[in-house]
Amino acid sequence: MAERYDLAIVGGGPAGQAAALALQGHGLAVAVIDEQPHPGGQILRQPPREFGVTGWMGGKVYAALRRQLGQFEALSGLDWLGGRSVLGLSRSSDASFVLTLSGRSGVETLRARRVLLATGCQDLAVPLPGWTLPGVYAAGGIQAFVKSQQIVPGKRIVLAGTHPLQLLIADQIVAAGASVSAVMFAQSRQAMARLLAESPLVAARQASALLPAGAAMARLRRRGVPVRFGESLLGIVGGERVEGVRSSAGETACDAVGLCYGFVPQSALPRMAGAGMRAAGPAGGWAAECDAWQRTSVAGLYAAGETTGVAGAAAAQCAGRIAGAGIALDLGLLAPGAAERRVAGVRRAHAKHLKFAALLDRIADPTGHFPVMAPSTIVCRCEAVRLADLVSCLDGRSANAVKLASRCGMGPCQGRNCEPTLLRLLGDRADPGFSARFPARPVMLGDLAAPE
Amino acid sequence: MRKADVLIVGGGLVGCATAWHLARGGAQVTLLEAGDIGMGASGQNAGSLHFQLERRFLENGEALAEQAARTAALSRLAIDDWRGLEAELGADLHVVMDGGLMVAETAEQVGVLERKIARENAEGLATRLLDGDEARAIAPYLSAGILAAGFSGDEGHADARAVTRAFAEAAAHAGAILRMRSPVTSARRLDRGFEIACADETLQGDRLVIACGAWTAQICARLNLHMPLFPVALLMNATERTAKGLRHLVQHVGRRLSMKQTHAGNILIGGGWPARLAQAPDGTFDPRRRPEMIAASLAGNMRAAIDTAPFVAKLNLIRSWTGVTAISADQLPIVGEVPSMPGCWVAGGGSAFTLGPTFARLMAQAMGGRAAPELDIVSPARFEHLNSFMG
Amino acid sequence: MRIESKVERQAPFSLQVEGETLRAYPGETIATVLVERSPVIGHMANGDAQGLFCNMGTCCLCMVTILPEGRRVRACLTAAEPGMEIGLG
Ligand SMILES: Cc1cc2nc3c(=O)[nH]c(=O)nc-3n(C[C@H](O)[C@H](O)[C@H](O)COP(=O)(O)OP(=O)(O)OC[C@H]3O[C@@H](n4cnc5c(N)ncnc54)[C@H](O)[C@@H]3O)c2cc1C
Ligand SMILES: Cc1cc2nc3c(=O)[nH]c(=O)nc-3n(C[C@H](O)[C@H](O)[C@H](O)COP(=O)(O)OP(=O)(O)OC[C@H]3O[C@@H](n4cnc5c(N)ncnc54)[C@H](O)[C@@H]3O)c2cc1C
Ligand code: FES
Repeated sequence: MAERYDLAIVGGGPAGQAAALALQGHGLAVAVIDEQPHPGGQILRQPPREFGVTGWMGGKVYAALRRQLGQFEALSGLDWLGGRSVLGLSRSSDASFVLTLSGRSGVETLRARRVLLATGCQDLAVPLPGWTLPGVYAAGGIQAFVKSQQIVPGKRIVLAGTHPLQLLIADQIVAAGASVSAVMFAQSRQAMARLLAESPLVAARQASALLPAGAAMARLRRRGVPVRFGESLLGIVGGERVEGVRSSAGETACDAVGLCYGFVPQSALPRMAGAGMRAAGPAGGWAAECDAWQRTSVAGLYAAGETTGVAGAAAAQCAGRIAGAGIALDLGLLAPGAAERRVAGVRRAHAKHLKFAALLDRIADPTGHFPVMAPSTIVCRCEAVRLADLVSCLDGRSANAVKLASRCGMGPCQGRNCEPTLLRLLGDRADPGFSARFPARPVMLGDLAAPE
Repeated sequence: MRKADVLIVGGGLVGCATAWHLARGGAQVTLLEAGDIGMGASGQNAGSLHFQLERRFLENGEALAEQAARTAALSRLAIDDWRGLEAELGADLHVVMDGGLMVAETAEQVGVLERKIARENAEGLATRLLDGDEARAIAPYLSAGILAAGFSGDEGHADARAVTRAFAEAAAHAGAILRMRSPVTSARRLDRGFEIACADETLQGDRLVIACGAWTAQICARLNLHMPLFPVALLMNATERTAKGLRHLVQHVGRRLSMKQTHAGNILIGGGWPARLAQAPDGTFDPRRRPEMIAASLAGNMRAAIDTAPFVAKLNLIRSWTGVTAISADQLPIVGEVPSMPGCWVAGGGSAFTLGPTFARLMAQAMGGRAAPELDIVSPARFEHLNSFMG
Repeated sequence: MRIESKVERQAPFSLQVEGETLRAYPGETIATVLVERSPVIGHMANGDAQGLFCNMGTCCLCMVTILPEGRRVRACLTAAEPGMEIGLG
């Protein structure tokens, strides 16, 4: 790792990789930082190098992403800084950025003239009675265990929510040899079909994106996995760990649950940097606002991929390419015309993917399907703040004021999990949510202290 | 137009506590707060109840130390106020007054401590000097490098998240009107009394209390008054929860440090490390916007904490934040009636978490007609020369 | 449940979790080792049992202590190592 870079890319997923590849050959000193050890992002969370996995992520859908990943890993002259979390970024006196990184061996800082935030998204955390029982996971978390660590965190798993991705996850679990007790969609099948029918063109053009879900569903059906619609979660039951779920259709025994109500952008870093944000989508959260070259409102700071709104890996790739060209343009490495020519096709593809993402957003929309919380339901897991503890604070106060009064959002996750729920409860569309504060991830005091 | 006996600008600890005391005494009080209650310095501070002379008063010459020592009378009152506060407000404020240690690591610092304690004792504050081993006997978490500590049995901490709100609730209960999200945009003196306005209302009152922290000078300017209070931005840090380990308030006589453990188990670390105030486009400071963290402050603060209580080195920092408070031209608080503008009261500056409840009580007492000579030393009268040309 | 089909792992090693000896394979995260042991990995602030949640580093519910060093890390991002001692809670 050098001390200074022309560009630091935070996130080695589809967006970050695409940007790095787009800037290849310009002679820039580029670092790509990711808290995962290997590039890939959430969609291609790689197995450890020590494993040999045959046919990993072999499906056709992943082919383009795998190809890009291969190209990225073959890039020379780029510093891959895996296993390091970016805790924060600030401006130094010479107008470059200072990034604080923490890893297994402590804290490091690096300077970069430009920074691209490609930090992706995270599963929306959805509180419901019993959701803090051990064995309840974010659906994406289960999937990461399966595709990367090659374990299944349960023997009989229930997936529940509104997002079609749960079909793919269930399919992957079954393919791994574990059993899925049920996949429950809170919305009705008709409602989903109606939305598809309302946008036949988008749906038809993006058939390839819809096919995997359809194929997964067919395979699940063949294996006798119940996929049910219009079934809402009422609660998760168990003593010290998950033993089953209660839904509108009755009880289903299981030893693990994956909640799949959608995704929200990882917004800690752009918010900390003071970048303009917008409400992200029906699942909640905040997305970094960008111009046509993926510039945020903070000079020198760019964002691409799901940090700017959850729109899928293909859109993330496109945005990464556009960001790469935009950075080259701003650094004077490409003339405006050349930059524009370079991304003309990408912009068209990007627009198409965004249209599909908007359709998927509507299909997967969790609003109206959130499970009903009980007064004792924990909203903020870090601080064990219950809905009942919040009710008295919901009197028009800001999210920050509720946090101060109730401790909701005051724990180690900095409110990443409870903020969407709290903002839903507040119902105040103008509330910007919790102030984003350093550090974006917990970090040992001793690592931060000035030398003795 | 609504009229009140007393109008209060600012819903921080000082404003809310003043509203409570006045309303309890039967006055009609209306308080206007620009945002939510207690979200200024009162909600951002460290929650230290410190009664030993602060380090900042000890490193700027004898004259200041001497002057600051004379505020000890206020500290003595504050000790009693804090001891009774939870019962009086009927609220759990997590007040812990198990003692505070101000540590020294060098012989020179021990000397400062000795002189400080002599001063405090002369002013009637019961602080005493412990040697390193005595300090470690009551505070085993202290580093072997600690040579001595000033000990005050009354020091401690309280939950800054709860205190201001408890005052606000008590004030409302006593009949005060508290308006949130109502920034005061104008203020003027009438022939009798004052008039202030926010977006949707104009109010008149016989008296006006300006308790808006870092914004105090701005509101005073509306009244054509100079008030030498300046915004400063400070850094605070919180660790993850840890099993109870740190019972006392811990401060350092030679380095910027304050440390305590909250009832939830987090250790709060601060001590006056600077952050950078945001600037408005016109170049003035903008206390409303989030100040920027300074990396060297963070590193220095962590180092001071670790050198003092080494066990914290292994804890995770979960949040650093910056808060804005007011400092006066001579560092002492400015509290009292403005001599050139009878009826206009100001309260700003100083460590007004510790002293705020006392400032509020004494101001209310004085407004009620009972003199509060303890406030003389902090009266705005000492800055009247600044207003002698303000007409 | 470790997936057996199509996965080759290297020779396992052992490590300690709360004094209990467990087996792990090179490349596994501490979270994997914990989940294979039990979904319960500690206690919440209210004393209830706690599991991990996101498995991607954002929820911070999987903090464990690496002993004797005392460093507290997110289990889902930290590789298990031979001879490691891990404290929960
Ligand atoms: C758990 C999970 C599983 C998913 N699985 C699928 C799937 O199977 N199919 C699908 O179509 N979509 C899936 N998605 C959506 C998918 O993430 C995106 O479509 C795609 O990966 C987005 O690409 P990206 O480059 O924007 O972000 P990502 O691929 O998420 O890459 C962002 C990277 O940034 C890193 N990062 C974030 N913050 C920091 C920080 N502070 N410091 C250091 N590194 C940081 C992350 O570790 C990550 O590797 C999943 C999402 C999640 C959260
Ligand atoms: C990081 C930090 C740590 C600190 N630590 C300690 C400590 O440990 N111990 C201690 O004793 N002190 C401490 N202090 C100082 C202490 O917090 C303050 O002295 C005290 O809170 C001041 O209270 P206040 O009510 O005067 O001001 P504030 O709490 O700042 O309240 C002023 C209020 O006025 C409002 N306002 C401003 N303009 C307007 C307007 N135009 N109209 C209406 N309302 C307006 C603001 O919104 C604000 O809510 C600390 C301060 C900071 C920033
Ligand atoms: S499980 Fe969420 S951070 Fe590890």
